[in-house]
Amino acid sequence: MSAISIQSVTKRFPNGFEALKGIDAEIKSGSFTVVLGPSGAGKSTLLRLMNGLETPTSGEVRIGGESVDAHKLRHIRSKVAMVFQQFNLVDRLSVVTNVLTGRLAHRSWVGSVFYLFRKEDMEIAQEALARVALTDKAWNRADKLSGGQQQRVGIARALAQQPKVILADEPVASLDPVSSEEIMALLREICDRDGITVVVNLHQVELARRFADRIIGMNSGKIVFDGNPEQMTQSVLRTIYQREGIEDDNSLDMALAYA
Amino acid sequence: MNIHDLKPARSQTLPPKPRNPIPVWVTATLAVLWLIVWDLEISFETLAYGVEDMGEYFSRYRQPDFSNLSRYLELMGITLATALWGTVFALLVAFFLAPLAARNFAPSPLAYRIAREMLNFMRAMPDLLLALIFVAALGLGPLPGALALGVHTAGFLGKFFAESLERVDKGVCEGVASTGANFPQMVMYAGWPSILREAMGYVLYILDRNVRMASVLGLVGAGGIGLALHDTLRLFDYGQSAALILVILATILIIDYASAWLRGRLG
Repeated sequence: MSAISIQSVTKRFPNGFEALKGIDAEIKSGSFTVVLGPSGAGKSTLLRLMNGLETPTSGEVRIGGESVDAHKLRHIRSKVAMVFQQFNLVDRLSVVTNVLTGRLAHRSWVGSVFYLFRKEDMEIAQEALARVALTDKAWNRADKLSGGQQQRVGIARALAQQPKVILADEPVASLDPVSSEEIMALLREICDRDGITVVVNLHQVELARRFADRIIGMNSGKIVFDGNPEQMTQSVLRTIYQREGIEDDNSLDMALAYA
Repeated sequence: MNIHDLKPARSQTLPPKPRNPIPVWVTATLAVLWLIVWDLEISFETLAYGVEDMGEYFSRYRQPDFSNLSRYLELMGITLATALWGTVFALLVAFFLAPLAARNFAPSPLAYRIAREMLNFMRAMPDLLLALIFVAALGLGPLPGALALGVHTAGFLGKFFAESLERVDKGVCEGVASTGANFPQMVMYAGWPSILREAMGYVLYILDRNVRMASVLGLVGAGGIGLALHDTLRLFDYGQSAALILVILATILIIDYASAWLRGRLG
């Protein structure tokens, strides 16, 4: 059964830029998918459509059979968590409060606006923090943590939502190689152990090869490759990273030689 | 294309320099200022002649009379209380209106418009005028003063808060929004925590301003030390007036230092 279903989706921004030019894809429940592509290929837009941070110009995105539309964003987002490149934590709040933010969709505003949470929510947050090994930092302010630790808080917040899907928009682009490895391993482990569907946008071809079940290659708003890591040959990479109007790209070969 | 193809272009001349509009604006502003002086017939000669008279008038305040100091301090206390209650009222109103008046948080464009216009209206009503209205409606005393200050500064505080909320990092808003948070939860988790420090600074500034204004409001019958100053001035009692003015000055200085200290602590 597919967790995410994308049906002939296009997206044109008000400034006229066409980010997506007709995307069709089914993403299997419990799979780990990596979306690769050059900057501006539409990877972020595609991911942001899946939890309603953007709305498609035409076409439809369905999560577990339900259409992502403006009227039930709260319901959809309670099932689709998102992890960001810049972590997007609330700097001034403690680590544990940031994680508890993941429970907001499940609770009415009455208690939560006073920062009162139920015991079971505290337990969920505690468990999520233990998963990302940050229990001892629980009461630190979020902005006092290192980049890698902040991203782990971001993942804990996503886990606290008890989602069906976790979307990660270039989660390691601001991190050093060691932290990147940690974060990718953590996402992979969440996918394997909890059966959560994970979709990750990446710039690192090598990380994609090692962690993905399936790789989707995008270039200028279209899917140009869809397969498993073994199928992603050097010539496939050339198609993914090809720049418009340039036939014989020497710098592309040089860059990909080390990918 | 190859990286090595990015050779410098053949021509080395810069593109034409963009026009700098600043001299034009400065000239235009000076011209308008001159026109105003000319139109209002402001005469600097009168000012020069008046200096001597002003010197004589101010010399009447040379001997402040502190014989009623305890009463003055009590009156100053009432004025402070008026300012404090006005600020609390403003804070309450702004707390609820500002998120609606911030474009990125407002649940609908209509709510945004209404909240904005309410804040604009409150800000546009001068507190002196409001005090006159409330004194007429509620009678003499500190209550109309507190209400007048509250309504007027709620407009200011609400606008300051709304503008701070609009500057909250878009990413932080998306981070909280993508958990499925609704409007009140967005405001309490992404909004206020992110602007807490700025907001405290604004509240202290408004409190400071309200203390100064509350002293003046007494002049229209809204109680406190201003009313006493009004009376002594009407009686040409320069000694007592001077004492009252000094009490007000000292209080404002103390408040100023206290709020600077508090702001430093918050940083």
